[in-house]
Amino acid sequence: MSESVTALPQRSSRSGSGRGAAKAAPRSDRARADWRKRFEIAILAGPAIAIFLAFVIFPVFMAAYYGFFKWKGFGAPTNFVGFQNYVTIFTDQNFLDALAHNGFILVMSLVMQGPAAVAFALLLNQNIRGRSLIRVLIFVPYVISEVIVGTGWSLMLQYQGALNDLLHNLGLGFLASDWIADPNVAIWTLMVIISWKYIGFAVILMLAGMQGIPDELYEAAAIDGASYWQIQRWITLPLLGPTIRVWAFLSIIGSLQLFDLVYIIWGQYVASTAGTSTMATYMVREGRLAGNYGYGNAVAVVIFVISLVIALTYQRFVLRRDTAGALTEKSDRKAA
Amino acid sequence: MQWKVKGPALVALGASLSLALAGCAGGATGTTSSAPATSAGPVTMTFWHNSTTGDGKKYWEDTVAAYTKEHPNVTINIQAIQNEDMDGKLQTALNSGDDPTIFMARGGGKLADVVAADQVLDITDKISPEVKTALGDGIFSAFTVDGKIYGMPTSVLPGGIYYSKDLFAKAGITATPTTFEELNAAVDKLKAAGIAPIALGGKDAWPAAHWYYFMALRDCSKDVMDKAAAEKDFSDPCWLKAGEDLKAFADTEPFNKGYLTTSAQQGAGSSAGMIANHKAAMELMGAWNPGVIADLTPDKKALPDLGWFPFPAVSGGAGDPTAMMGGSDGFACRKNAPAECVDFLNFIASKANQEGYATAFKTLPANKDAKSVVTDPALQDVLASYDKAAYVMLWLDTMYGQNVGNALNGGVVNMLAGKGQPADIVAAVKSAAAKG
Repeated sequence: MSESVTALPQRSSRSGSGRGAAKAAPRSDRARADWRKRFEIAILAGPAIAIFLAFVIFPVFMAAYYGFFKWKGFGAPTNFVGFQNYVTIFTDQNFLDALAHNGFILVMSLVMQGPAAVAFALLLNQNIRGRSLIRVLIFVPYVISEVIVGTGWSLMLQYQGALNDLLHNLGLGFLASDWIADPNVAIWTLMVIISWKYIGFAVILMLAGMQGIPDELYEAAAIDGASYWQIQRWITLPLLGPTIRVWAFLSIIGSLQLFDLVYIIWGQYVASTAGTSTMATYMVREGRLAGNYGYGNAVAVVIFVISLVIALTYQRFVLRRDTAGALTEKSDRKAA
Repeated sequence: MQWKVKGPALVALGASLSLALAGCAGGATGTTSSAPATSAGPVTMTFWHNSTTGDGKKYWEDTVAAYTKEHPNVTINIQAIQNEDMDGKLQTALNSGDDPTIFMARGGGKLADVVAADQVLDITDKISPEVKTALGDGIFSAFTVDGKIYGMPTSVLPGGIYYSKDLFAKAGITATPTTFEELNAAVDKLKAAGIAPIALGGKDAWPAAHWYYFMALRDCSKDVMDKAAAEKDFSDPCWLKAGEDLKAFADTEPFNKGYLTTSAQQGAGSSAGMIANHKAAMELMGAWNPGVIADLTPDKKALPDLGWFPFPAVSGGAGDPTAMMGGSDGFACRKNAPAECVDFLNFIASKANQEGYATAFKTLPANKDAKSVVTDPALQDVLASYDKAAYVMLWLDTMYGQNVGNALNGGVVNMLAGKGQPADIVAAVKSAAAKG
């Protein structure tokens, strides 16, 4: 390795073995190399940074700005109200309910999808007949657009929809329920749909994680006389840890920002009545539908801050060991 | 699933970017903004309406062609914008000081917001006398803010109960209900005949809220309702009584099963679809309903046995039993629009163009002289009641603004689902004030 580096003196100014060659080069060469490197970085990263600033960072600050006004969206905001919007948000029972629903969805997504995804992945990691067909079937819901999924489920689960019809025809009419509108049932309906929709993604991640576990470990364990379940418990699960933690992170973010499925299945108002409203549907209802754009922006800021705090906390305390080296300094890395 | 909630942020960004770019220019698109009358110089205007398909789209193309033929110096660029996108796009466009010159407006609280931002033209003195006479004073009230008129109405859309004459006959109902006692009796007869009495698109919430609106129309006097519009004061006991009356009526279970998951206009399972396919007997709706129902019948033709009767009287109500409630579609000119803009508004309000409008949109024209083209029997019934109405109120969400309308939608749906009391509706309206 080090020989090949010495052969390229210009690019090796920081590597120890190439230092001699770099020292020999005139100072202006090095400056030129530095400049070139910076230019390269600017060219390659510039457009992405510009777009990120314009479409992510800038709107965040604009939302924070609008959040301090009572503003109907027409003309420039003029009615400055300070933190009043934020006080209103945290005293509005509808928002607190939505926040609770988000929390419930977050926890239940992890509890329902995690074990099921690992189980499916273990199954699909075996050499069984029809494996690719099952893989496709599990993954298909994830690929279908949320709008189509939502419309389909909402039609089937209506009081006079296909599911209740089926139950009646099976002689199970007593089980028929208003799956979407009944406040006692609705959130579980949502959880089933979410699990059905997103489990394929989790399974694919887990499968990929399992592919990365070296066969030698399984062989060694088998030679030592470990049973199938012992192997899964003591080899697969621990080595799948990083994958599970990353999946959990994506699931948490998704739960916090859940919007489309709820909005399509429950419509603009019934979500809150049925107990499935989320912070995002609350934002649209109280911001856009009510025409209170200042208030809506304040809600957006609250969602942003809540998501950011949870994401950073998770990264700091859970993901740290997995992302060591990629996001933090290299010395933190320990052999897995 | 992640990173999906960008819409509002992008809108905010779009609005702010265009604000920055335009520097709050708000300049006129035409060249004759200062001229008191139309001039011969070339004028270009942009025209936004919401008819993206069919007869309505063609009507606007033909009407604009007819106008520019009469006025060769005027160019009008038509943009048909999806109804649901209209509000957001209009907001961004108006804030940027860019187009449109002529845009669709539904009056009431939303128009008042645009007026407050000084983005719309006061046309009070620019409406031609013939148009003013032909439309009558009443209809302009929807587009009047602080005594000044900002929009030209093109249609009146009063609400009432649409019903199937065949299903009524099948259930043995001989006369349309005029009081709630009679309506309750009709509901019982329909139930006994195995017919869902009333279709309600509760998923969209506003159809449910309309039941409250009409209860309020019957329970509250005109003065109380006008006062609420001016002062956002909902403390009069009639607002609570309206909720109690609705709850009492809802407790008799007159609506189709699963109405909270029924949408208003989409597909055969929607409330309009249930009327169109004879699955339910009645629906409370605005004057656009015959057109919507016609689209949902099996043969896509108007429902032959569709009838209409006004919202029944409520016992002990302070409102006039002949009073009606409805909306009005119309058009407005942006601030600093050229004089041709108002000229165009006068043009579309004329008898000939209003006749074409009523035919194309299967609705009631704002111009009284154009009413002869209304042939739909249900709409003729609406028209007859409309002419006799003691007064006509706007939809409450239009009159009191989106913010109050939003709170009413939520409050009424909650109450119907058994999650709230009549008093909570009034409380929701009051708490909405804190947000806007």
